Amino acid sequence: MARAFRPRGRGPHLRYAAKLDEVERAVVIGLMEQVIELLDPPEPPGASTDGRLDDFEAIVAGMGGLGQGISVRAEDQADWPARPPVPPEARSFGDRDPALQRLLPQAHRDDEEAAAEFRRLTEDGLRRRKAENLTRSIAALRGRGTVELDAGGALAFLVALTDVRLVLGERLGLREDADVERLDAALSSLADDDPTIYAAAVYDFLTWLQESLAGAMLDDKTQG
Amino acid sequence: MSIAPFTEEVTRSSADLEPDLPWVTLVWNDPVNLMSYVTYVFQNYFGYTREKSEKLMMDVHVKGRAVVSTGSRERMEIDTEALQGYGLWATFQKDT
Repeated sequence: MARAFRPRGRGPHLRYAAKLDEVERAVVIGLMEQVIELLDPPEPPGASTDGRLDDFEAIVAGMGGLGQGISVRAEDQADWPARPPVPPEARSFGDRDPALQRLLPQAHRDDEEAAAEFRRLTEDGLRRRKAENLTRSIAALRGRGTVELDAGGALAFLVALTDVRLVLGERLGLREDADVERLDAALSSLADDDPTIYAAAVYDFLTWLQESLAGAMLDDKTQG
Repeated sequence: MSIAPFTEEVTRSSADLEPDLPWVTLVWNDPVNLMSYVTYVFQNYFGYTREKSEKLMMDVHVKGRAVVSTGSRERMEIDTEALQGYGLWATFQKDT
């Protein structure tokens, strides 16, 4: 049974600590890895693999694809009545996977040209920074016992949890506030072994975990 | 060569005299981001007080969106990029 994040110590010694069991860690790591994969842009033709990618691939290879029953990959999303279908071509520019679109939303609503220019200038950096937060958080979850984060690690973890929840939330069809109730209603009519029920439970778990970390960090920010 | 920068300077300052609407960064409501997290981001990134951050967060939540910063287009693009980095649904536009 997990224990939520709590602050430990003060000032430069401040840490945020939580307890997650092995299965819980594997679930969170599996989802974080999938979001890294979602963020990994298709390689341009002829590009060579750099050292950073090698490191990242080594980390992923060590996990053996542990998803613990949840896939947020676009191609694995079964249709169910409460959610609109996901476009088949997950990574194309014009017909983007809505989960990726949620991580990298159109930055100007009325001016396509300005939005495209913004995307051209910022997308690589945003993808890289998000992947770095996720990779750092996976490393923090790899240990045993308590998950302990310093200030920088806590911020990376907080943002990584946000991105995982955005992707999982999109897969569950959560696009506006009313969708949360709609999902709850839809879940009650699903069979007990429907994977959507498990995915929704994991989403709630991530929400609880993030709430504890965000609350503790917000209190520290306000006091500090 | 040495005259060009001077000319450019003059052109730019006369353009500044024309009424120019400032640009804004908007954050839009979504069902995923937590109220505590959004408040934290406003405090952490902008350095806003807790009170101001909570007020903006509630505006996003209740009204569906809020203007979270105002300034030059370049500055608003920087803010939008940073907030998207945090996973907030941020956009920029000319103030209307």
